[in-house]
Amino acid sequence: MDADGAARTHGGPSAAAATWAVFRFEAERRLRASVLLAVGLSAFGLLFVWIVPDIVAGGNIEEVLASLPPAIVALLGFDTAASVEGLLAGEFYTFGWVVGLAGYVGYSGATAVSAPLGDDRLETLLAAPVARGSVLAGTFLALLVPVAVVNAVVPVVLYAGSRALGAPLSAGGLAAVHALSVPFLLTWGAVGVLSGVVVRRGRTAGRVVLALVFGAWLVESVTSISTYAWVGAVSPSRQFDAAAVLVDGRLDVAGAATLAVVTVAVLLAAQAVFARRDL
Amino acid sequence: MHPIELDGLTKRYGDVRGVEDLSLTVREGEVFGFLGPNGAGKTTTIRTLMGFQSPTAGTATVLGADVRDAAALRAARANVGYLPSEPGFDERVTGRRLLRYHGALRGDVRSETLLETFDPPLDRPVGDYSRGNRQMLAIVLAFMHDPDLVIMDEPTAGLDPLKQERFLSFVRAERARGKTFFFSSHVLGEVRKVCDRVGIVRDGRLAALEDVDDLLHRSGKAVRVEIAEPIEADAFALDGAHDVTVDGGGPEPGTAGAEEAPGAAGGTATAGATVSFTYTGRYEPLLRHLLGYEVVDLTVEEAPLEEVFMRFYDDGVAASPEPAAGTGALGDGDGGGP
Repeated sequence: MDADGAARTHGGPSAAAATWAVFRFEAERRLRASVLLAVGLSAFGLLFVWIVPDIVAGGNIEEVLASLPPAIVALLGFDTAASVEGLLAGEFYTFGWVVGLAGYVGYSGATAVSAPLGDDRLETLLAAPVARGSVLAGTFLALLVPVAVVNAVVPVVLYAGSRALGAPLSAGGLAAVHALSVPFLLTWGAVGVLSGVVVRRGRTAGRVVLALVFGAWLVESVTSISTYAWVGAVSPSRQFDAAAVLVDGRLDVAGAATLAVVTVAVLLAAQAVFARRDL
Repeated sequence: MHPIELDGLTKRYGDVRGVEDLSLTVREGEVFGFLGPNGAGKTTTIRTLMGFQSPTAGTATVLGADVRDAAALRAARANVGYLPSEPGFDERVTGRRLLRYHGALRGDVRSETLLETFDPPLDRPVGDYSRGNRQMLAIVLAFMHDPDLVIMDEPTAGLDPLKQERFLSFVRAERARGKTFFFSSHVLGEVRKVCDRVGIVRDGRLAALEDVDDLLHRSGKAVRVEIAEPIEADAFALDGAHDVTVDGGGPEPGTAGAEEAPGAAGGTATAGATVSFTYTGRYEPLLRHLLGYEVVDLTVEEAPLEEVFMRFYDDGVAASPEPAAGTGALGDGDGGGP
C-alpha cells in the first residue's frame, strides 16, 4: 500500500516512465513484423548483390540507358548504373528504403495513432494518469524497432553476402547509408503520427502517408533533372541520397540533421493538435 | 471538496447538443446513479469528466481537478477508475500483458484479489474474449490501483445476470470501504440495488436529482389482492390507490346474474376477482378496507422504479414528479437494449 500511496501523491507515473511503458508495449508488437521485414529485405538485397555484377559486367546497360528519356532514367535511379554500388543505390535503396520502408514506417506511425482513436483503446489508456504527450511519444519511439532491426540486419547480410560472392561491398559505405537512412525513416514516421492525429480515421490516415511517400519520391526524382529542382527540396528523399554515399563516398550529414529537425518539428505539431483535440 | 462537481457543464458537437448546463455534486462515499435513456448525454458527461473531450461551456472538477486543466486532471486520474460499457483493448495481446501494461501506468495493488472475483482467461488473446470476459478484464483494470473514485458508464451491459449480481455486490462492498461511484445506467434494477442518489438526464439536461429511498418511498407499493368473491370495479377507490384494475370475473356494476356465471363454469378459482393498484397511502386504511373481503392472496411490493422514472422521461409530466402517477406498461419504454 505504501508504493500506491507514493504513486498517488505524485499523481501517477512520471512522463518518462509513462512513455517507457507505452514504448515497451508498442515495441513488443512491432518486433515480429520488423524481423520479417529484415529477412525479406535481406533476401531482396542478396539477389541484387548476386545478379548485379553480371549485369554490370555485360556492359550493355549503358547503351540501353542512353536510349531512354532522361526523366525515366532519373526516376528509376539508373543515373549511376555503371557499378554494383550504383545499381544497389538506384534500385535496392530507392525501392527498398526511399519508397518501401519509408512507406511502412509512415503507415505504421499513422495507424498506431488512428486505430486506437477509432476503437476506444485510447480511452482505456488515457483513463490512467498519463499525458497524451507520453502516449504519442511512446508510440513514435516504438517505430524505432523496425527502423533499427532492418538497418542493423540488412547491411550485415549484404556485406557478408557480397564477400561470400567474391565482390565485397564497402563496409563503411553500407554502414553510412543505413545510418543516414534512420533520420529519413523517422521523418516519415513523424509524418505518419501527424497524419494519424489529424486524419484520425483508421487506415485512411495510413493511406494518406503512403500517398505522400510515393508522391514525394516521384516529385523529387522527376524534378531533380529539371530546372524545377527546388520543388523537390520539400521531399525528405532529397536529404537522403544512397547513391552519393555508395558511389561517391559523400556523406550528407547536413541533410540528416535537417531531417532530424523536421522530425522534431512535425512531432511537436502532432503533439499540439493531439493535446487539444477531443478523442 | 466533493469527488465530482459539475458546474454548468455544457458540451455541444457542432449543432448537436451533448449535454446542456449540467450542475450537480457527487458526495464522498456515495454511489451516484446517473440515469437516462440512451442518447440522453450520459456518455458525453463521462467522457468530459475523464478529460477525453473538453467542455464547450461550464466546467467540472474531478477530485478537485478542473477538467479543463489537462495536467491537474492527469494527476487526479491516479486515483480514479474508469469502467466503460464496451472497453477498447488491443485484440492481439493477452489479458495478462494488458494487465501488466496498465499496471505500469496506473499502479497495481490489488489485481490478484480482484482476479479471484472477476476471472477472465488471462493467457488468451483479448480478441478471443467473450463480451463478459472483456468486461471482467475492464473491471480489474478499473479497480487494480484501488482508486477512491470510480466512474462507470453502463458497466454491467456486457455481463450475464450472475456476474452482474457479483459486480453489484462488489460495488456495495467498495462503497462500504468509503469509495465513491459515479454510475451511469439505464437499468433501473441495478440502480435500485446500489445507488444512494440519482440524477436523471433527459435530452442533455438534468431532469431530477433524488435520493433513491425518497424515490422508492414516493413511488409507493404495488398491491395485488385476490378476493374470493366478485367485486365491483370501484370497490378499491381508496385514497392513495392509483391505477386500480380489477380482473377475473368481476361483474360490471349492477349487472344481474353475473354471480351465477362463474359458478356455472364450475371453477372456484375464477369465481373471485384480482385487484391490483399502486398504493401511496398509509397501511392502516388499506388493511381495514381489506378486512371487508375474503382475501385469498395478498402481495405488497415496492412499485417498479420504471414507473417513477418514466415520469421524468416523459415530456408532458417531466416537470411535475408527483406521487404515483404510474401509468403502467412502462417496462419496455426505458431505452431497452444497450
